[in-house]
Amino acid sequence: MSGWLVGLDAVLSPDAILMIVLGVGTGIVVGALPGLTATMAVALLLPVTFTLDPLPGMMLLVGVYGGTLYAGSIPAILLRAPGTPSAAATVIDGYPMTRQGKAGQALSISLVASVVGGLTGTVLLALFAPQLAGVALTFGPPEYFMVSVLALAVIASISAGKLSKGLVSGFLGVAIGLVGMDPIEGFPRFTFGTTELSAGIPFIAVLIGLFGVSEALTQIAGNRRRRGAERPPVGSFSLGRGWLRRLGPATGGSSLMGFLIGLLPGTGGDVASYFAYNETRRWSRKGSFGKGEPAGVASAESANSASTSGSMAPTLVLGIPGDSVTAILIGAITVHGLQPGPQLFEGAPDLVYGTMIGLVLMNLAMLPIGLLGIRLWPRLTAAPTTVLWPTVVLLSLVGAFALRLNLVDVAIALAAGALGFVLTRGGYPLAPMVIGLILGPMAESNLRLSLIISGGSLDWLARPIPIAVMAVIVAAIVLTKLSTRRAMATPAGTAAEETPKDRD
Amino acid sequence: MHVRGPALAASFVLLAAACGPAADGGGTGPGGPIEIIVPYAAGGGTDQTARQLAAAAEDTCGVSTVVSNQEGAGGAIGFRTAADAPPDGSTVGVVSVELAMLAHQGVTDVTPDDVSGLLQYNFDPSALTVSSDGPYSSVDEVIGAARDGDGVIVGTSGAGSVWEFAAEGMAAEEGVEMTYAPFEGAAPAITAVLGGQVDAVTVSGAEVLPQVESGELTSLAVMGEERLDILPEAPTLREEGIDWVLGTWRGLALPEGTPQETVDELESCFSEAARSEQFTDFMDTGGFGVEYRGAQEFDTFMAEEFAAFGGDGGGDDG
Repeated sequence: MSGWLVGLDAVLSPDAILMIVLGVGTGIVVGALPGLTATMAVALLLPVTFTLDPLPGMMLLVGVYGGTLYAGSIPAILLRAPGTPSAAATVIDGYPMTRQGKAGQALSISLVASVVGGLTGTVLLALFAPQLAGVALTFGPPEYFMVSVLALAVIASISAGKLSKGLVSGFLGVAIGLVGMDPIEGFPRFTFGTTELSAGIPFIAVLIGLFGVSEALTQIAGNRRRRGAERPPVGSFSLGRGWLRRLGPATGGSSLMGFLIGLLPGTGGDVASYFAYNETRRWSRKGSFGKGEPAGVASAESANSASTSGSMAPTLVLGIPGDSVTAILIGAITVHGLQPGPQLFEGAPDLVYGTMIGLVLMNLAMLPIGLLGIRLWPRLTAAPTTVLWPTVVLLSLVGAFALRLNLVDVAIALAAGALGFVLTRGGYPLAPMVIGLILGPMAESNLRLSLIISGGSLDWLARPIPIAVMAVIVAAIVLTKLSTRRAMATPAGTAAEETPKDRD
Repeated sequence: MHVRGPALAASFVLLAAACGPAADGGGTGPGGPIEIIVPYAAGGGTDQTARQLAAAAEDTCGVSTVVSNQEGAGGAIGFRTAADAPPDGSTVGVVSVELAMLAHQGVTDVTPDDVSGLLQYNFDPSALTVSSDGPYSSVDEVIGAARDGDGVIVGTSGAGSVWEFAAEGMAAEEGVEMTYAPFEGAAPAITAVLGGQVDAVTVSGAEVLPQVESGELTSLAVMGEERLDILPEAPTLREEGIDWVLGTWRGLALPEGTPQETVDELESCFSEAARSEQFTDFMDTGGFGVEYRGAQEFDTFMAEEFAAFGGDGGGDDG
């Protein structure tokens, strides 16, 4: 208990508080710009923290991390251009809400869900960090493989009703993920002999093109056909009537799932948000997911915020980074001569407990800072469409370039934009492609690692976690099949009502 | 008014892009600014050390330095950019052991021949590390188990990575077979040995230090010429009777064809920076091994490394 008091004392200093506020503010701006990721912002600010004390430095970085993850949803909702990979799942329901004139509500939900997810995750971290970090160690390649197959099965339910098109899109994503160095043999695959492609097609450049650029192309093409089309209003910023009852279960459940997925080293907000979104959709009986369902936004956003805290657990307890951002946070700790890991709890309680309390403060700070900005964001999109969409293309391409200062990434973003445009025209959903792109490589390398470690046998499939996950996969597919049939049997429902608006 | 939002946003992009170098401070000296090309992402070990060295060199060289990250293709993109820069001392490339490896793997055609060494500032040897609860408590036991066909599984930080090479070379030296499991980076490999998924890892000593200090992992040997200060208990492989030295190194290089007087000038001020207290303190606290070689010596060293990695799994000159 004394550790908590030491931490509280350390974090309630003007320095630390100032850094939290600064960090969150910076994070929100960075996150709202496609292509500028949490990893990049944290990496660029890292040298600044060398001159600060460990705790204020840590507060600056986690503030940026949290702010970025929240703000990625802003362009995802308003422009269908997720600011960070973690916000890709937010697009599915967030952008339809904007088209239906409920942008204000979607932005409010995303802010509140982010804060609730972050707080829930932090409480879980504080209560169970040491025990849960140990659980992460029982996850070897076989477990990771089965979890990635489970997440790939999300494609089936996300594309319910148009399964074949969803599968085509999903396979395309997996195929793009194959490009680059073979993860096991180290041999270049599908690189056409170029050096530029040997590290693979960068995921974020594809994401920028697939959503930001392709939506701009769609809008520009649509604009030429019907000039002066009415723009949907922003609508009220209230959460809507009975919000607690409507959004509470989705937010709570998704926060828990997001935290658990964040715990696993190597999986972060992007996997967490898709995973939680899909489970929420499965448990809900509504057919309105994917057509502007507020609970969908709440679910994706709470999950990616909660995953931040989850990925802090292996970082603080084991000294193993949960994702690329926490890998940099470890650097921020070691530069002060401290070693992350179990001994940090005794060696520097002010830092460990201070960080956990700081995470709570960071989430609390996000609410007022987010509210300050929330009415401003829709104004940006109120620019005339002839200015707005070309600017989105420009910003997207600048973002793609900023990733690695490489023109190849700009070309990839443009190509992905063209692909996204064509696929959307043809009625192919884009979400399965993103899922395939994230999880295809993860499934491949873990399957092959499992086989290497077991000497080629399939014994590892019989371990407890893989068996349990397999049962969940079978259940999920059966349930999806049943619910699709039920939806077909009752064609007149909420789904039918929303369709005309959705086509706008 | 309408245009201001996006314009503001665009300027922030530029601001953020400029933020890294700006954070290192900017003094102007007699010469123009020196661009330092880091071939890996911001935030990694190479980037952190390079940024610290760049900051120290601003004082010793009297010019401002600008760090730019040109990552991709395992480092090949950044190596290529540095090698192709004008040979006038305005561009300095950060080079690492991968420069001696990538051409042999068919990734790129850039080799140490395309650059002129300026100085080496770091060497981190591989450490053969196992779980403290596991069956192995010495190098002999690991090699013996492999010889008996018990299927020793070694986790590495990736296919074709220097740590995979370290494990393969050790096994080849003893004439035994092991199974190599290439994880995506050192962290998942360390997780796997902690969780008992693999028997051992061969990542650097600094990377396993937190787990060794907490007692969960034990380093059985380090693959350096000498023992590591941070892991004083672990003998070198040579002490254990295995003639194998391998590790990762980092240094600075200029484009091939840079005039000798420019090389000399930069060597003297950058080596002063590399030996400054500010820089060596950073290296110590970060767990990076300090090893210094001057321009001439580093050039020869890189050529030896390149030849060694080209041999059939050979290469024992650290």
